[in-house]
Amino acid sequence: MSTMSARAGDVTAGRARRRASSTELSRWDKVLRAVSAIAGIVPTGLLVFIAVIMVVAALPSILFNGFSFFTGSVFNFGNLYATTTVTHNGVTALPHAAYGVWPLIVGTLATSLIALVLAVPISVGGALMLSEVIPRRIADPLSVFLELLAGIPSVVFGLWGVAVFGPFIAAHVYPALSAIGHVIPFFKAPVGVGQGLLTASLVLTVMIIPIVASTTLVLLKRVPILAKEGALALGMTRYETARVVTIPYIRTGIVAASLLGWARALGETIAVLLIIGDIYSVPGNIFGNSSTIAAWIASTLDGALQDFTGMGVHALAELGLLLLAISLLTNLAGRLVVRRVAGGVLPVGRGV
Amino acid sequence: MRTGLMGGIAALGTLAVVACGSSSSPTSSSSSGGSTPTPAAVQTGNPTSAVTLSESGSTLLLPFLQELVAPLTAQYSNITLAPSGGGSGKGISDAIAGNSLLGGSDAYLSPGQFSQNPTLANIPIAISAQGVWFNLPGVTSLKLTGDVIAKIYEGSITKWNDPAIAALNSGVTLPATTIMPLVRQGSSGDTFLFTSFLSATNSAWANGPGPGTSVTWPHVATEGSASSNPGMVAACKPGCIAYIGVSATSAAQTAGLSEAMLQNKAGNYVTPTPSTIGAAVTAGAASIPSNLALSLIYQDGAQSYPIVNFEYVVVNTTQSSTDNALAIRTFLTWAMDPNGGSQSQYLSKDNFVALQGSVPASVLSAINAKIASIT
Repeated sequence: MSTMSARAGDVTAGRARRRASSTELSRWDKVLRAVSAIAGIVPTGLLVFIAVIMVVAALPSILFNGFSFFTGSVFNFGNLYATTTVTHNGVTALPHAAYGVWPLIVGTLATSLIALVLAVPISVGGALMLSEVIPRRIADPLSVFLELLAGIPSVVFGLWGVAVFGPFIAAHVYPALSAIGHVIPFFKAPVGVGQGLLTASLVLTVMIIPIVASTTLVLLKRVPILAKEGALALGMTRYETARVVTIPYIRTGIVAASLLGWARALGETIAVLLIIGDIYSVPGNIFGNSSTIAAWIASTLDGALQDFTGMGVHALAELGLLLLAISLLTNLAGRLVVRRVAGGVLPVGRGV
Repeated sequence: MRTGLMGGIAALGTLAVVACGSSSSPTSSSSSGGSTPTPAAVQTGNPTSAVTLSESGSTLLLPFLQELVAPLTAQYSNITLAPSGGGSGKGISDAIAGNSLLGGSDAYLSPGQFSQNPTLANIPIAISAQGVWFNLPGVTSLKLTGDVIAKIYEGSITKWNDPAIAALNSGVTLPATTIMPLVRQGSSGDTFLFTSFLSATNSAWANGPGPGTSVTWPHVATEGSASSNPGMVAACKPGCIAYIGVSATSAAQTAGLSEAMLQNKAGNYVTPTPSTIGAAVTAGAASIPSNLALSLIYQDGAQSYPIVNFEYVVVNTTQSSTDNALAIRTFLTWAMDPNGGSQSQYLSKDNFVALQGSVPASVLSAINAKIASIT
């Protein structure tokens, strides 16, 4: 939104320059100032507005559940048909209502981190391939494909995961993978039919590769040719040039690109909902069914709406707030990492 | 919500014009003697101006309502039914908020919802049921109890040849296949019916996960899930057990699944057929409350099927316009009329059973009194 308004501001400024009159110039200057002020306030205001609304909607749940919201493992709207209600800390809920979202925190972090760990090396490797190895006339059309891939609606990925990818890897890949179970118990399990934690993570991987890869590709194209040529002139191989010059130059950018991908994986709803099984449990193994914060909000909202005390919806609002907080925290953590990585050891300047 | 002691029987065939006061207590409901019936004629007819009856809610009810759109307008040119999905919870909350005139729900309103929204009514317009299906090559017929099914879903019975299952099925050779219990994802009216049945038959379940539209299922390693009735059918691979609404019965048969006979409260094993479903409704209707909120789970009666439910339409009995009120009364009365919307050609889409025939007069009179009060 801010870029659009800013662009409108540019146009306004351009017109102002074309018209010579000084009174008009100052008038257009005022307009420009007003427009940019609004453009500056809107994004910040929007974030504050959303945060405030979420906190207000979640407040009864925060009061009712306290800290056990994060540590509990039972999620139950309570007995809808009870004639009584229970009150705790001044807020009312249904009898037997329990809201502990630990399994969702685990599911959300597990799927997104597995996806991130798999996607980043593939994305960076792919981007390097496109920018440094493959001839330009082949690489350019291929990078267009990469950007098109980023635009595929997530529900399409979900359908593909359910109908094609999940059953295929469950039949042909997972049995071999479960052999790792002799070493790492978390892999030892009945592999199921292709829905669950690992399949969801793999589909998320496919979804975030284009985001991380296309961002990395843009960064790679901005690495000064002089530095690379210098490295080659010193007798470095292509691999050494990439390792010593190119990658260090953009590594803060790679972290930023990974954060973009992580944010996407954290908030992805429909594809995960279709694939992960949406069972409320911390899976005992990597093939087990689980759920994530986003998927659980989507799939249980209808049940929450039947809770006449309203606590069900409040609890889902607190879940949404939690997801918002996790996203902001990962973003902040990423920024800290960027600051550390960017700490003056780069041979040639700094990345984005 | 009038709660006078008014028992009565409405003439079955003429429910469109005759209705009686509702009953307040189970003891007086099925007897027509004593008190004076107060017939409240349900005014129906074509409104003077066009009314669109917006509906949202239960996706189980949706195919039936979609079937009704054309015949309703054919009979009442100024009434257009506009059904949509969203789930039972959305149907109820939309009806409360006035976002839609009708809310479809697989579940009746709770005491809390009634007391918060005293002008709300839930009108049963059809009857549905749920089957328990299994996929076990070589075995086509099984008897199961709610208690055993609860133990399967809580993970204490894990093999199909478990002694507890074998004891119910003497003469059947059971393989040592691992049981894969299937559940519905997220919140679902079907989950509510199923867990209500488990809670009625297994005290550990009642005190543990309990009944609910979204349940924290006990952890079973082989557990699977699906997001709809057809999805349950597709996900039911060999070894599986699944609860599937009767709307997907033919799909389940086509997929080669077998339906379990469930033990009812009287101890007999039954599958859902129009007669066993009707028996459950007859048993339940003996104690129908004046607000029509009635569970048909695990009812008395030798032939009663244990997992049966009313499909409800939730309406606000106080409408802003008289045309809207007239259209709602007309639609609801027509929808449960065996010569109107409750013809088998419309109900068969969902394998629903009409209220008519098996439902005692007390249910109909109570329903009609509720419809008559929509103003």
